[in-house]
Amino acid sequence: MSMMAVAEETEMEPVVEKKSPGKALWLLAPGVIWMSLFLVLPMLMMVYVSFWTQTTFTIEPTLTLKSWITFFTSDTYLGALWTTVRIWLIVLVATVLVGYPAALFVGLFVKNKALQTVLLVLCVIPFWTSFLIRVLAWRPMLGKEGAINMILMNLGITDAPIEVLLFSELSVIIGMTQIYCVFMVGPIAFMLGRIDTSIIEAAQDLGAGFWRIFRTIILPLSMPGVVVGAIFVSVMVLGEFATSAALSGRKVNLLGNIIVTQVGSLKWAFAAVAGVVLTILMGAVVAALLRVVDLRKEL
Amino acid sequence: MNASGIKTGLGAYTALFLVFLYGPLVVLAILSFQTGPEGGPQFPIIEWSTYWYKHLFGLTPPSRIAPLPIEQALVRSLGLAVMTMIVSTVLGVTAAQAFRRKFRGSGVVFYLIVLGMMVPGVLVGLGMALVANTLGIDRHWWSTAFVLHVVYTFPFAFLVMLAIFNRFDPSMEEASWSLGVTPARTFRKVTFPLIFPGVLSAMLFAFTLSYDEFSRTLFASGRDLTLPLAIYGTFSVEVHPNVFAFGVLTTLFSFALLGTYAALMMLSVRRAKRVAIQEEA
Repeated sequence: MSMMAVAEETEMEPVVEKKSPGKALWLLAPGVIWMSLFLVLPMLMMVYVSFWTQTTFTIEPTLTLKSWITFFTSDTYLGALWTTVRIWLIVLVATVLVGYPAALFVGLFVKNKALQTVLLVLCVIPFWTSFLIRVLAWRPMLGKEGAINMILMNLGITDAPIEVLLFSELSVIIGMTQIYCVFMVGPIAFMLGRIDTSIIEAAQDLGAGFWRIFRTIILPLSMPGVVVGAIFVSVMVLGEFATSAALSGRKVNLLGNIIVTQVGSLKWAFAAVAGVVLTILMGAVVAALLRVVDLRKEL
Repeated sequence: MNASGIKTGLGAYTALFLVFLYGPLVVLAILSFQTGPEGGPQFPIIEWSTYWYKHLFGLTPPSRIAPLPIEQALVRSLGLAVMTMIVSTVLGVTAAQAFRRKFRGSGVVFYLIVLGMMVPGVLVGLGMALVANTLGIDRHWWSTAFVLHVVYTFPFAFLVMLAIFNRFDPSMEEASWSLGVTPARTFRKVTFPLIFPGVLSAMLFAFTLSYDEFSRTLFASGRDLTLPLAIYGTFSVEVHPNVFAFGVLTTLFSFALLGTYAALMMLSVRRAKRVAIQEEA
């Protein structure tokens, strides 16, 4: 992560003479206290409550493994876990496939700095619309009477509307890919922009074709960007519930959706179990991604 | 090597990519001008009209389609965003200021802060709801939801300020101190004007992130709706073009905000240039 690089940079910075070591503490205290009380404490509480006893409408602080056993013996919950993993993997691959060529063009092929900036800004502008509105915008696109079906039928490509486009797993994947692929394009374009073009020219002079150059130079050098993008996309997709709520017609239940419905019916202990499972899954994914590329070395 | 062919191909692809990014929004904007109240959220456009915009503001005769509860929600969302903006910017500036010196445990503190933007809203929201339940605190948008919004936006403000301070020349402050100016006055007269563009960016980040945030709010805000929650409420029912009209209006609002930011930024850059020229003269 680029953040790591920042952390290291700050650590490496030459030590400005220490006047009052206590001063930094006072500046830091508000932020650290805020994060401890409102981030760390709630997360710990979630772990703790996952071992509480669930009664019909309330929870009691009697420790038990019952909610955990329910979770891992229920088809619904295990199904949600599997759906979450599946959708995450598909969306991750889709964002790389969709985003990489665009990043390649913006980061490496566009030599004009102004045009490069314009293209990157164009990618970011949709973020100025509400996230929920962007999700909802897929409904008139994908529906039975939606724009895509209309275009396909007018062009004579299909005779009948494709119904599977909306309220299916496919619509969730399309929606998530569109919303999150920019987080892939940005880091990749950034890494590609840093490639020394004289390396590519040297390879060209030595007679290497585009694919060879791509495989041996461009792709390896852009990998840190892919990993950073993958971390962004993974963390966001794994914590999702709104896109599946809006576009799947309740057919796709992610762990996030499970948490929302459980909280809605006051099943706090079950929601907490799903939350802890999601946290562990997310931690494992991020740790695995950081294994693939040593970001500290690469950035 | 067929570089120009590949370049053309990738350029065409990038154009398609932009269509993919913008297509749904364009369709949504077009459909917001559908006639009402009988026109649905799909093509063809029966007749162009601004019915759904009037519907949003309650200017249409009552129909079977309930108006979006935006009036109160807008006030709450704006209030929440302003509160979040102020607190997270102050926290971000002070924390980044502390990071200008090396100190023991800076790595841990760094990750603690950055964690706030990484942890999904659904998790921290659930955790906050559990804490509030256990302590018997009522959940409101201005209490439990507000602190979570700051947890989310403070890291952004912090990272922006860290980047600003990294490029900052400390000798300016030292000159001020050595002339006997108090640290508080130095911060106000020297440091703050220098870091102002960063502060502005941090504020913009915090405001827009909070204004759009809903997963944290969903769990932690109790009964009163904020704007994103009002939109989220329409997910489970039939969608009417009034939601689209609302989407167009919020987007315009965001652009206005971005324009204000750009104008303030340009003013500050111009002022900095003028000062620099005066110094040179």
